[in-house]
Amino acid sequence: MVAPLLVFIMALALYPTVLTTIDAFMHIDALSPPNHFAGFGNFTAIFSNPQIRQSFENTGWYVVFGVGLTLVLGTAFGLLLQRRFRGRGVVLAIVILPWALPGVVEGVIWSWIYDPTFGVLNSVLKSLHLISQYQLFIGTRQIESILLTSLVQVWQITPLATLLVLASLQSIPGEVYEAARVDGAGWWQVIRRITLPLIRPGLAIAAVEALVLSLNIFDQVYVLNSGATTASSVMSQTYFTTFQGLNFGQGYALSLLATVVTVVLSLGALKILYRKVTF
Amino acid sequence: MRRRIGAWARRVAIGVVIVWSLFPVYWALNTSLMTNSEAQSTSTHFLVTRPIFSNYQAIFGAGPQAAAAAGGIGRSLVNIVVESGGATLLTLVIAILGAYAFARLRFRLKNVFFYTVLGTLTLPVYATLIPLYRIMSDVGLVNTYLGIILVYASGFMPLAMWIMYNVFLALPPSIEEAAVIDGASMFQTFFKVALPIAKPGIAATAIITFLLGWGQFIFPLVLSSTGSTEPLTVVLASLEGRHVVPYTIVNAAAIVAIAIPAVLVFLLNRWIVEGIIAGSVK
Repeated sequence: MVAPLLVFIMALALYPTVLTTIDAFMHIDALSPPNHFAGFGNFTAIFSNPQIRQSFENTGWYVVFGVGLTLVLGTAFGLLLQRRFRGRGVVLAIVILPWALPGVVEGVIWSWIYDPTFGVLNSVLKSLHLISQYQLFIGTRQIESILLTSLVQVWQITPLATLLVLASLQSIPGEVYEAARVDGAGWWQVIRRITLPLIRPGLAIAAVEALVLSLNIFDQVYVLNSGATTASSVMSQTYFTTFQGLNFGQGYALSLLATVVTVVLSLGALKILYRKVTF
Repeated sequence: MRRRIGAWARRVAIGVVIVWSLFPVYWALNTSLMTNSEAQSTSTHFLVTRPIFSNYQAIFGAGPQAAAAAGGIGRSLVNIVVESGGATLLTLVIAILGAYAFARLRFRLKNVFFYTVLGTLTLPVYATLIPLYRIMSDVGLVNTYLGIILVYASGFMPLAMWIMYNVFLALPPSIEEAAVIDGASMFQTFFKVALPIAKPGIAATAIITFLLGWGQFIFPLVLSSTGSTEPLTVVLASLEGRHVVPYTIVNAAAIVAIAIPAVLVFLLNRWIVEGIIAGSVK
């Protein structure tokens, strides 16, 4: 019964991963085969390429913004939607919606919002007198471009964090809160000293998922930046190096590096952040 | 008094959450019902007063603007349904069989196999993208439904297996044991007893897998980027990238891509929530 599953996993997940690992150390030129061993040649090449180095730095920012904003919003939404109220089911469905939509579609609808000539963000900021003239939000200033691109991904993955926070909140027995209230704790103290520590397992999983997704950000970057390198991510750089630049060796080296970083960071983060809570 | 302020603050905050979650979709819908000159006017139309449907007609190849949107959106809609639907079916069949075996049967090397499958959950897209492209072009499956479905399914299987594994573990084994005592074979027990009671879990896995397939972009961008198999997501990105198609039409196409996931969320959100929780906690 497990044989078909194992065949699929071996052939289309493990075997390709092994290929990536081997070919990252090969010099690959489609025009003059065969490929030959290149040692760390591909790696020195990617580290000496300023565009690729920029994508490393940018991805660091994507992780900072992605993980930080997702956790803050997810916790706030979870706390807000914890108690029952009329229409809660509908509100929950609305909150989940961005998670269910394709990243590309979200990139497209947000790029219209950010549009430099007709965008609603410009229109609203101008009528509030926060800007004096329409802005090109994405493409020139690095941090601003990254933040606004990241925000689209945060919009998509916040529902995941919200659901994980809600699930952890439901496992906290009501007496814990009552005891705190009897002891005279205010709402902020309750949240800081009781709720946040007790939902730590849910937050840890949300953090790891946000970490992996922001390390791999591609769709939003591809759509919103249309090839500009100001806010490029490692994934978009890998795509352009491999499939536009046809530099497969460097593409493999980038892929292997990113795979190792993703696996190590996500397992490491889970180990540090995750602690089982018992009542 | 303080309680009433608190209740109002909560209502306002919930309102903010709704606007945050819904506004971008509303804005695309609003724009898709405007004329191009309304969309480009200096005064922003927050609520379209006379909605028009010509943008939708244009993307399905009718009306005067059809040529502008000649990106084969109708075809790509068929493609995305076939690809995410096909991948969902294949993933479910294989992941359910595997999950049941891992949850209920005893066999050699079970733990090794289990953690091998589960371990691939941590593999990011980077690990397999380029080699899968080369494997698929070696066997001639680039730009075919079969190729893209195989790639999707292999990517979705570990998560589907993990959700179904937790579903089977949560079922009381006594019902299946009773069937075995009554003389049912392993396959009869699986098909006639375990599968029917696992239906809600299967539904949750199916919806989540389908939504994952619907949202794919980089794999089809690399593996099926010609008209015959490219899904709606790839066509939408290229419409956007060409900068010549009017934004009203691009937004209409985005709404078409949103429609099916949105309907699934509003009708079946209970199962989606269960699936997400079963797939990430524990």
